[in-house]
Amino acid sequence: MAKVGAAVWIFILCALAACTNNPYPDADSGRSVLYRTMRKSPPKTLDPAVAYSVADHLVTGTVYDTLIDYDYLARPYRLIPGLVEAIPEEVEHGDGTWSLSFRLRPDLVYDTDECFELSRSGARSRPILASDIAFELMRLADPSVGSPVGAVFARIVGYAEFTKRLQALRDGDPAFEARRIDEQYREAGGVDGIRVRSDRDLEIVLSQSFPQLLYWFAMEFTTPVPWEAVVYYDGEDGRDVFSEHAVATGPFRLTRYEKRSRISLEPNSNWYGIRHPEWHAPGATYPTRGSQEDRSSGLLDPRYVGRPLPFLDGVELVFENEQIPGFNKFLQGYYDYSAIIEETFDQVVSEGGLTPGMEAMGVGLSKTPQAAVYYVGFNMDDPVVGRSGGDRSRLLRQAMSHAIDSEEFIRLFFSDRGIAAESPLPPSIFGSEEGEGNPFRRVDLDRARTLLAEAGYSRGIDPATGRPLKLSFTTGDTSARARLRYQFFVDSWRRIGIDVEIKSTNYNQFQDVLRRGAYQTFFFGWGADYPDPENFLFLLWGDLAKSKSGGANSANFDNPEYDALFLEMRNLPNGPERLAIIGRMLEILRVERPWIEIFTPEEYVLSHGWVRNLKSFGMSVPMLQYLDVDAPARTERRMAWNQPLEWPAWVLAALVVAAVIPGIVTFLRERQ
Amino acid sequence: MEPHVFSNLVTTALFAGLMLALWGARRSLLWRNAGRELVRRRPISLAVVAAYALVAGLDSIAWTDPHDAVGEDQAVLLGVARTVVDRFFPADFQEASYSAPLADRELYGGEPLSHPGAHWLGTDIIGRDVFHRALKGARVALIIGGLTSLIVLPLALLVGVSAGYVGGRLDDAVFFVMSTLASMPSLLLLIALIMVLGVGTVQVCVALGVTGWVGLARLVRAETMKIRELEYIDAARVLGASELRIVWRHVVPNLMHLVVITFALLFSSLVLSEVVLSWLGIGIDGSWGRMIDQARTELSREPVIWWSLLTASIALFALILAVNQVADAVRDILDPRTAGERS
Repeated sequence: MAKVGAAVWIFILCALAACTNNPYPDADSGRSVLYRTMRKSPPKTLDPAVAYSVADHLVTGTVYDTLIDYDYLARPYRLIPGLVEAIPEEVEHGDGTWSLSFRLRPDLVYDTDECFELSRSGARSRPILASDIAFELMRLADPSVGSPVGAVFARIVGYAEFTKRLQALRDGDPAFEARRIDEQYREAGGVDGIRVRSDRDLEIVLSQSFPQLLYWFAMEFTTPVPWEAVVYYDGEDGRDVFSEHAVATGPFRLTRYEKRSRISLEPNSNWYGIRHPEWHAPGATYPTRGSQEDRSSGLLDPRYVGRPLPFLDGVELVFENEQIPGFNKFLQGYYDYSAIIEETFDQVVSEGGLTPGMEAMGVGLSKTPQAAVYYVGFNMDDPVVGRSGGDRSRLLRQAMSHAIDSEEFIRLFFSDRGIAAESPLPPSIFGSEEGEGNPFRRVDLDRARTLLAEAGYSRGIDPATGRPLKLSFTTGDTSARARLRYQFFVDSWRRIGIDVEIKSTNYNQFQDVLRRGAYQTFFFGWGADYPDPENFLFLLWGDLAKSKSGGANSANFDNPEYDALFLEMRNLPNGPERLAIIGRMLEILRVERPWIEIFTPEEYVLSHGWVRNLKSFGMSVPMLQYLDVDAPARTERRMAWNQPLEWPAWVLAALVVAAVIPGIVTFLRERQ
Repeated sequence: MEPHVFSNLVTTALFAGLMLALWGARRSLLWRNAGRELVRRRPISLAVVAAYALVAGLDSIAWTDPHDAVGEDQAVLLGVARTVVDRFFPADFQEASYSAPLADRELYGGEPLSHPGAHWLGTDIIGRDVFHRALKGARVALIIGGLTSLIVLPLALLVGVSAGYVGGRLDDAVFFVMSTLASMPSLLLLIALIMVLGVGTVQVCVALGVTGWVGLARLVRAETMKIRELEYIDAARVLGASELRIVWRHVVPNLMHLVVITFALLFSSLVLSEVVLSWLGIGIDGSWGRMIDQARTELSREPVIWWSLLTASIALFALILAVNQVADAVRDILDPRTAGERS
């Protein structure tokens, strides 16, 4: 009996001594693997034609490479060649068409994958061809793929016709739909304006000038996709579905994809940056130039500048259901970087910088304004707040704009992580400086009351009813936190005497209300697809009015002068001429007030001292290939921060013993 | 009609109805003795419940007042009614953001408050007085419990009595519906109903009612089957009373103790159900559940903000405890098996 007891004690002691809280295999501790959490949700899809959320892009942006990339350090954002040799320029032809010619780098190959068996027996990979990009562009036009951005490419000659022909063939013949997808596209005649000139040359012919198209070639929607992958990964016979399986063209490949727990990535040895470091291709080399600020924050470290990418041995993305435990693991050193969560904000940041406790841990903070804007919009079709009310409605909108204190809003709900907006353009976007000094975005309740009186609503009283003017505020989030935010606006308007009622719906119902047009004011946000002023100012373009065309202009703002300026601005390169036009457009918005611009969120990223080269990007482009970690330093810190605390185990053991002994005593006594 | 006038009328009608019911009960020896016994056994719990009811009642009586608009800085909309409870507090009783109980400065930033030391239980993130909100929650809780009971009790009585008294095919059909409803997880059914009906006080009460009537209907059905076979029913029938008269005069009054017990037990479970719904984001505005939901992340803030959560929880806890205590006593008193016991 005593022997058994001793053995148990020895076992417990050994277990305690070896006990650590490291959630990863010990063998990985020496490798420079980057650990981070997934975004709030796991990716929905890896199909590059469909993936559109930040969570999706974290993976698709890493495993799929694009024809054009962004410079890692340059701000404002700058495009650099990715899979292509050079960024093409739009060429205008005499016949009313424009074209762009892409030339792929030589010797580009896909990652090894069994799907290539379909094209040649025994094949495990094949070169990346221009026709693969054409295939992916046709997938965007294919209604059965359901790409959210299909409409963007409608300016390609023959794009809409292709969709119609394809649909007609499918409707006409059920057998057609059963055929291989690339054959279906070929049978439908392809898209007239997508011309594959050779294995490496692709020409896109446009019916209108479209300078922003280049930005779309910097997104994964236009990445080369082999038809073999789409055909092979159909979910039959134990094969994956294509939306869960990526054939890598980018710097990393997937080695494990369990999206509800863990996603593992390792460098893709078939990526051109790894196969051909001697090219020093701009998309596969750490940038050599950066701002003075980059230099002082260590982003131009000579150990990395000009070196071929990627630096990491792997990436682990872990899904954390709850934010607080995820953040605690960051504090223990088990995640390399983390966003800041609301609840622990004051523990981490004070007066715009890190708290001394965080600084002592060697944590770094990187802030970037996102390319996004949140706003309160007015429905311009509404008789009370909209255009048919003329001057009266305009004065009302101006008064309501004066009543909202964005600074206070950001302070209360985002702990100062944001920049008060005065125009639709966030600070990182060309032309945003023109929007500064908007007189109607100054908080001025007296002025608001004066304007309201001029509008005929003296002290907020609607003369028609003799009671406070009643407006509805349609919102798309029913969470407690969001309701408090909406209440803030309602309280602000109450101070000038207007009675605004929150109509709370969930996001789907909200979209539905916007479609049906039964709303007066609403709260909405926009995150840019690409950093061009066009991608914000189009939200108020009359042709895209929700009520007319179901477009993104939910305010239904329709101003002929603004529209004319917009069309002119859209096709201009960034320069003084464009700036002047943007200035005039913003002036119209300033006075007309279809929106009350609220704020641009700032992305705060915390990173440990062992993470190298982290610069937050402000758009959903992951850029993991530029990062590196100092694994030995990380291991050392983790050990220091996670000393096992033994006394609670002893106390617990003592309690267990104390609880058991009386039982044993009673048992022995009763047996006698 | 203005909403506050409607609310005033309903409140008055409810109060009158309550008085009438009490007066009616006084005439019956059984109810009079039961009432006296209840007051003797649970004086404190009854007082607590009465206090909640008083607050809810005062919060249901509102009027407009030309003096309400405070100066230039209108804290209250002109012509919008305020209740008696609202009038306990200054009209502009709002700060910019969080402040601790009885503090004279804001929690973050340390700006001086406009009402230093006056917020007994602090303020929430957009500066609303927590004590005021907690008081207003009483009305919401009583509406949830009361309105839903108004849906549940008649429905359950009608269905239970007709199934139990008529029997046969009708009984089979009713029992099938009841078994089907009872076999569905009620929370899922609730969520589905609210998704269909939309979020709002009436909708939530209807949803709670639809999922809540089965229990009482079963009891009533069984009790009716038992009463149906008793001699005095036969006697009434022999004397030529119509079936409706028998049900109304001889069956339903003998089910009332079940109704009272179920009402008391149902009430607290309904109020708690609303808290769960608030947690899922489909609760009722101004309820304690909503307050708890809004406050749940505040505990992990630094420094901790405990007052919203604690206030709402205590308000909820005290009401539920008191109601349960009363319900317990009511059951003991009215149930013939335990009626004789003294506690």
